[in-house]
Amino acid sequence: MALVQAENLTKIYGKGETAITALDHVSLSVEAGEFVAVMGPSGCGKSTLLHLLGGLDRPSEGRVVIDGSSLADLSDDALTKLRRRKIGFVFQFFNLLPVLSALENAALPLTLDGVADGAAKARAGDWLVRVDLGSRLGSRPDQLSGGQQQRVAIARALVAQPSLILADEPTGNLDSRASDEIAGLLRQVADEWGRAVVMVTHDAHVAEYADRKVVLHDGMIVEDNHRDKVG
Amino acid sequence: MYIQLVLASRYLLGRRLRTSLTTLAVAFAVLVIFGMNAILPTMLRAFTANVLTASGQVDLTITLKTGESFAPSVLSKVKSEPSLSAVAGSLIRTVNIPDGFFPKDAQVGAVTLTGIDAKSAQLLHNYTVTEGRMLRAEDEDAAVIAQSLADTLRISAGSKLRLPTTEGEAKLTVVGIRRARTLPGSEEVLVTLAEAQKLLALPNRINTIEANLQATDEASRSAIEGSILGKLGDNYESGSLAGGGEIMAAMRNAQAIFSLFGFLALFMGGFIIFNTFRTVVAERRHDIGMLRAIGAGRGAIAGIFMIEGLLQGTIGTLVGMALGYLLALGSMALLDPIMVQYIHISMGAPVITVGLVVTTALLGIGVTLLAGLLPAISASRLTPLEALRPEVKDASKRRAGAGFYIGLLLICLAAVALIAGNVSLAGLGALLVLVGLVLVAPVLVGPLASLFGGLLSAVIARQGTGMLAEGNLERQPGRAAVTASTTMVGLAIIVTAAGAISSMNSFLIVVLGKTLGSDYMLVPPSVGVWSSNIGANSGLADRLRAVPGVDAVSTIRFAMSQSDGKTVSVLGIDPVVFPQVAGLNFQQGDADTAFAALDVGRTLIANGPLASQLGLGAGDTMRLSTPTGSQEYTIVAVAGDYLNAKIPSAYISQRLVRQDFRKTDDVFVQVNLADGARAVDVEARLKSIVTDYPQFKLISRQVYQDQTKQAVDAALIMYTFILAALAIPSLIALLNTLAIGVIERTREIGMLRAVGATRSQVRRMVLAEALLLAAVGTVLGLIAGLYLSYVSVLGLGASGYPLAYSFPVWGLVAAAAIGLGFGALAAVIPARQAAGLEIVRALQYE
Repeated sequence: MALVQAENLTKIYGKGETAITALDHVSLSVEAGEFVAVMGPSGCGKSTLLHLLGGLDRPSEGRVVIDGSSLADLSDDALTKLRRRKIGFVFQFFNLLPVLSALENAALPLTLDGVADGAAKARAGDWLVRVDLGSRLGSRPDQLSGGQQQRVAIARALVAQPSLILADEPTGNLDSRASDEIAGLLRQVADEWGRAVVMVTHDAHVAEYADRKVVLHDGMIVEDNHRDKVG
Repeated sequence: MYIQLVLASRYLLGRRLRTSLTTLAVAFAVLVIFGMNAILPTMLRAFTANVLTASGQVDLTITLKTGESFAPSVLSKVKSEPSLSAVAGSLIRTVNIPDGFFPKDAQVGAVTLTGIDAKSAQLLHNYTVTEGRMLRAEDEDAAVIAQSLADTLRISAGSKLRLPTTEGEAKLTVVGIRRARTLPGSEEVLVTLAEAQKLLALPNRINTIEANLQATDEASRSAIEGSILGKLGDNYESGSLAGGGEIMAAMRNAQAIFSLFGFLALFMGGFIIFNTFRTVVAERRHDIGMLRAIGAGRGAIAGIFMIEGLLQGTIGTLVGMALGYLLALGSMALLDPIMVQYIHISMGAPVITVGLVVTTALLGIGVTLLAGLLPAISASRLTPLEALRPEVKDASKRRAGAGFYIGLLLICLAAVALIAGNVSLAGLGALLVLVGLVLVAPVLVGPLASLFGGLLSAVIARQGTGMLAEGNLERQPGRAAVTASTTMVGLAIIVTAAGAISSMNSFLIVVLGKTLGSDYMLVPPSVGVWSSNIGANSGLADRLRAVPGVDAVSTIRFAMSQSDGKTVSVLGIDPVVFPQVAGLNFQQGDADTAFAALDVGRTLIANGPLASQLGLGAGDTMRLSTPTGSQEYTIVAVAGDYLNAKIPSAYISQRLVRQDFRKTDDVFVQVNLADGARAVDVEARLKSIVTDYPQFKLISRQVYQDQTKQAVDAALIMYTFILAALAIPSLIALLNTLAIGVIERTREIGMLRAVGATRSQVRRMVLAEALLLAAVGTVLGLIAGLYLSYVSVLGLGASGYPLAYSFPVWGLVAAAAIGLGFGALAAVIPARQAAGLEIVRALQYE
């Protein structure tokens, strides 16, 4: 069974004449270890799809099943716990807390889950080493470059050992070199660490790192290409 | 200008909660100032009306400045003045009625006993009797009362009216009933002048001269009044009765204190507005940059903020005034029935003067504008490029800058001032310590937050929420410091008052033990404010002395006097017996020498407040105005007792009270039992004697001391509750800062929720932040409060109360509870808002 199963997802914002259909009966399944790039023009529903997959928002119609759990059947707290343990998020603007160090930021999902401080930091430290930030554990976000901040965000997304990583324009705020580094890192997340990755991006070059490219237009999937894995 | 107004109003409407909170801060301060300055003058007006109408509607009333009695010969001096249509001398005294003297449902706290010359008074007042007849000169034991009193006591013409008098309980026959009293003031009992002189033990004395003038124009009337007063000398005054003086002075003090509270509230309101505007400037950085880029000048940018301040200040002031008026109206409505029932004073509508409206409006709007000025200027100084550049979120901890070191210096100077023990210097130190703490607060926020953060993390803010709260607080140390400073001021006042009150109470308890040492006391209805108590003639003390088992009886006599224009309570004691039964707490001189000296010449012992008020000490001389003229007394010691500890008082021998003040009635009596006497037997006999003098209540030392201590504790709790209201601005400040923080960190909160923080964890994070912020303010408030309370005790020492500093443990506990309680309360709305944020919207928030 697929790790992520989205069936007939529809999301309508507003009511009556002002109603806007952001997603229109979209179905999508993602396997474990698969790296999917979601592309399309602005306003096509990419981010909406990502939010629905991550349980950040609820669909108007259809359902999302993650690892056998239907999100629609979960209470707010259960959904929060599922996000904490099975899904990792990476945002365009990194969204690191400026008052915490890289290590503390990366450990945050574990800390929120009640994991002891020492253990949480040890695991976060491991992930930061894996994303090549072993020397910047104590640095605060304002002391890191954009690429480095996004690495911390990826470490934070991975620290709770989730099976799914959702990345919303992870390179949208980075230069091309840093973009390549981050896209490569996400490739590594899928290949070496076996996580499914769904990445929304505008950047065709970054999308090349993915195994599969899904193109949305006006809330519908217009293209879904599987490719051979990159290098 | 129009676009500035549009922008200002749209910005305000866009942040309704924040706008409401800052406006509320102004409104609260204005409410206190406006409300209190409407209530107290209304009460003063009512009391003034009472005093004026108590003299009847006559043209001129003349009394001694002290309110004491004088010889009727003075009347002839007044009569010698031409152009008077009628003149009468009378003896008027308020008679306090002890609890339970009249039937329970007849709530009469006091009556005015008015002794009149039946014939001449009729010319002045035109008394009309509706039942029975008016008084005649030859009447004995007869009275005329108003229908309202008759109804209250359920008596009619021919009935007996009981009254406590110096001779014991008197039974007067009601010979006539006048129309129900409509004027304010206590019920009047009219008796003949001779009767009043007998009942009050003031033979051949009067204390009021009333006259009607023939002239009708103001200039002639003033000339006649001046001429009469010229003949009588400095000791006399016209147009007032002394009875209300103590009350009015107390009310003026209360008005001053409440105004001070209002100004402090306004000061805190200014802090809140400053904090808000500063945040608003940071928040609108991009908007300001855009406006500057498209051509808005510096003035235009500053103007937007100033218009916002003006709008909020105006609305807050109007709301505050409306609420203040409602507060005054409500208070009057609550007080009116009580006042009408007991003393026939109707409060009427609140007094709102143009001056009050203008002053309050200027203060409310002025402080708001002033608080917004600095942020407005800083906004106008932003260049378009600076403002449009992406903001770098710097979360580095605040380092000590010049402000910190200046603050530290001020605190050190304040400490030196305190160590020096000089009251004036320490008073200045109080200001320095407050300013100093405000300046060092931004640097202290971090360490204090860390200190309490650990504790909170262990108790309520587990799973990292405590750590997040701590971090949130540390990232805006300036804002946290200003908020904490508001809490600090509110709590410092509470601790200061608690320290001063508990020190004063400890002092009073010590003095109570030292000075009220007798086994039994005969206590009048109003202890300390003696002028309205009816004393007893010497027959009471004689009868008490005759009781087997009684060793000694000491009495206190009272007269009102003035020195240097200030009111002085003169207390007559027997210098030989008094030290055997009671005692004084000596600050200068010693008991043996002082009491021996009282027996010789014109000498007195001044209590602390009197010595301090006049700036005199043992060995100095002072003049006291007496009915026989001004007399010079030598101060032989400075000492006081419990009952008169708060009132400037002089202890003189009873010989001099009789000689100089013509007073012979005892207003307070203390009884000591002989060794081996059986208290139960003696007490029964004492009780039976006291039944004849219902103005006194027999009470044993132990019971009196217990009751006093209970009253002291109750007062302490009451003051604490009243002062707790002063912490309300700190609640608004906390709420405001937390709400701002939630808005500012919307996206972060969205991220936290996205990565797995539950709503409850977000709520706990905001609660922890609120508690940390409140804890920082509380720590600063307790420190400032301890300093200020110590200084206030020093100040009280300089005012004649040699207090030992009593550490205000309960004040600290109460202040800490209020500070932290308000912190938790302030978190409710922001925490709910933060927890209720929709994740997707929060993540998209800019």
